[in-house]
Amino acid sequence: MKLLKTACKLILSFGIALSAASALAATEIRVHYAIPTIWAETQEKLADAFMAKNPDMKIKIDGPAESYADGVQRLLREAVAGTAPDVAYVGLNRWRILEDRGLTKPLDSFLPKDKLAAGYTPALLSLGSYKDVQHALGTSASNMVLYVNPDLVEKAGGSMDNFPKDFDGIIELAAKIDALGDNIEGIWIGRHDWRFQSLLGSHGGRPLNEDESDITFDSNAGMTAASLYKRFAQEGGMSSMTQNDARQAFPSGTLGMFFESSSLLKRFEEGAAGKFQVTVLGTPVVAKDNVYFPTGGSAILMLTDDETKQKVAWEYISFVTGPEGQKIIVENTGYAPANKIVLDDAKYLGAYYDKNPNAKVAHAQVAAHAGPWYAYPGAEGVAVTDLIAAALVELTEGADVEKTVSDLAETLRLQLKMK
Amino acid sequence: MIRRAITDLVLVGPAALAIVIFIFLPAIVVILLAFTDYQFGSSTANWIGVDNFTSLFGSKIGRKALTNTLIYAGIVIPASVGLGLLVAIGLHHLTTSLPKASNILRAIYFLPVSATLVAMAVSWQMLLHPSLGLINNWLSILGIAPQQWLSNRDLVLYTLAVIGIWQSVGYNMVLFLAGLAAIPKTLYDAAEVDGVTGGWSRFWVVTWPMLGPITMFVIIVTAANAFRVFESVAAMTKGGPAFASDTIVYAIYREGFVYFKAGYASAITVIFFIALLLLTALQIALVERKVHYR
Repeated sequence: MKLLKTACKLILSFGIALSAASALAATEIRVHYAIPTIWAETQEKLADAFMAKNPDMKIKIDGPAESYADGVQRLLREAVAGTAPDVAYVGLNRWRILEDRGLTKPLDSFLPKDKLAAGYTPALLSLGSYKDVQHALGTSASNMVLYVNPDLVEKAGGSMDNFPKDFDGIIELAAKIDALGDNIEGIWIGRHDWRFQSLLGSHGGRPLNEDESDITFDSNAGMTAASLYKRFAQEGGMSSMTQNDARQAFPSGTLGMFFESSSLLKRFEEGAAGKFQVTVLGTPVVAKDNVYFPTGGSAILMLTDDETKQKVAWEYISFVTGPEGQKIIVENTGYAPANKIVLDDAKYLGAYYDKNPNAKVAHAQVAAHAGPWYAYPGAEGVAVTDLIAAALVELTEGADVEKTVSDLAETLRLQLKMK
Repeated sequence: MIRRAITDLVLVGPAALAIVIFIFLPAIVVILLAFTDYQFGSSTANWIGVDNFTSLFGSKIGRKALTNTLIYAGIVIPASVGLGLLVAIGLHHLTTSLPKASNILRAIYFLPVSATLVAMAVSWQMLLHPSLGLINNWLSILGIAPQQWLSNRDLVLYTLAVIGIWQSVGYNMVLFLAGLAAIPKTLYDAAEVDGVTGGWSRFWVVTWPMLGPITMFVIIVTAANAFRVFESVAAMTKGGPAFASDTIVYAIYREGFVYFKAGYASAITVIFFIALLLLTALQIALVERKVHYR
């Protein structure tokens, strides 16, 4: 009899334990990210911090993709196969590819009423919205800044205190640095869509009109911006080396000035350590208004259809785009934050900025002038960015600015079926 | 009889089925896609007939990829077959006089074949760096102006061709060495009796005809590899600057996996496949007439 009782008790307690366990069984969401060389550690830290805060939710990180381009490919493949993750980090210029195929889930119903109070400024929200629907939120941001090698500047007779504020002065200085030696280069900028959009934004221009039905970089602002490529090459002695060449040349001290993404700051500082003190300056602002700098970096978006998973997914998204998550991202990757609270409130990153004055310059530029990295609409959207790059190559080789840019704009209009 | 047929079917069946499912069916899908505007990841596609094919031959970029590939192959095929033969003959004779040196040199020549090209591309990139690279540093010691090996539009294709030659000479050398070793010594003796004494005439009368079958094989393999050039382009230039080093296989990758234009990429694949098939058939027909099999 006693035995039976004990057995009953045992079975009962086992049952209770079982049901307790199932109540505790956390809802798990799968997260995709790319570029493990930058993100691997940060992603672990984000997931751990989130799960410590929300014990009933679980984050499972997919094996990372090598690059944002690979990442989007994989997400498309997985979407076709029905095995897409629930949440994904994608390049800020690539989420439209997923939106175009109807894979993103709008975030508007999840966002708080007072978005500004949560740190989402209109500029930052613009990074992930299209036609007034919020498809993604920025998680890390970078702008084009000017990296300077102060040693070369001084050797060429310039000074950092009196550094030129406009492009004319920069080109003049570049020529002087270039003249220092055979293997010394004055200035370099990538012949690439994003860099061109940055110069365009600095002149107050836009690549596309409001409803994205026409190309607008053949404006005056666009011509002036494009002419800089020709002037850098002809007056500043810019060589035709590749992006990778330049990224090696700058930290080794053979390149004086380098317009490049702020996301490379950490790498350049480490590479130049012991040789010279890398100095970061903002990209010169030419126009009075309408200035913006296209923002690179990553965005986070929701892919799951399941309602319970969507709730967890939103908790995670709001955590990583909120001040706590942003603090982790900035401290570990060096990217600029995509939340205003961390920038304004010194309790989050005050100590970090004291130690990294270069980062502060870059991040202040993001906060002041962040804008969307325009993706050209439609099936040919990615293809035309290579046409733009090819036209910029021609400009550096001396082609006529007016003709090259107008021809390019016409080619794009035809290829993007705008006329 | 029927039992035998069933046994044969059981033996052949699984492999044949696998080939049909994993090779023939996807190939048919690719051919069908070539006539659509299918975008990678999208749920619909439209039948657009031969538009993809006309835009491949009609567009500047499409034609550029075609001519680049032809120029590249035009340099790499003769150079790497010729150099491979030259090196093989040299090393073959060296085995009798300096066997150790010959072995070491063989290993050195073969190294590029066994190394992954993507990894070697990183070293090439360092060597060819315009301001930090060793090659430009050596040139400037000799008083020659430094060159933008990988970013000068007029130069980049030739730089890649040289890397392509560097990579395939070792492989061709090994094949030619095997061919040379297989030539019976008696033939040279017989030739000598008939009055063929000079090195050059020995080569024309005995060595070259005897290497016929090997040469045919080497040319076909080298040609197939040259037309399929991809890794060096993808790792070092990404087809740039301004499409100056775009090749057919890189264009397939670019259109399909960077631009997501799966339909167009399929069209290039179909054209490429047909061209390679025709070329190989032509080579076999042409070379076969001149080759003496034993």
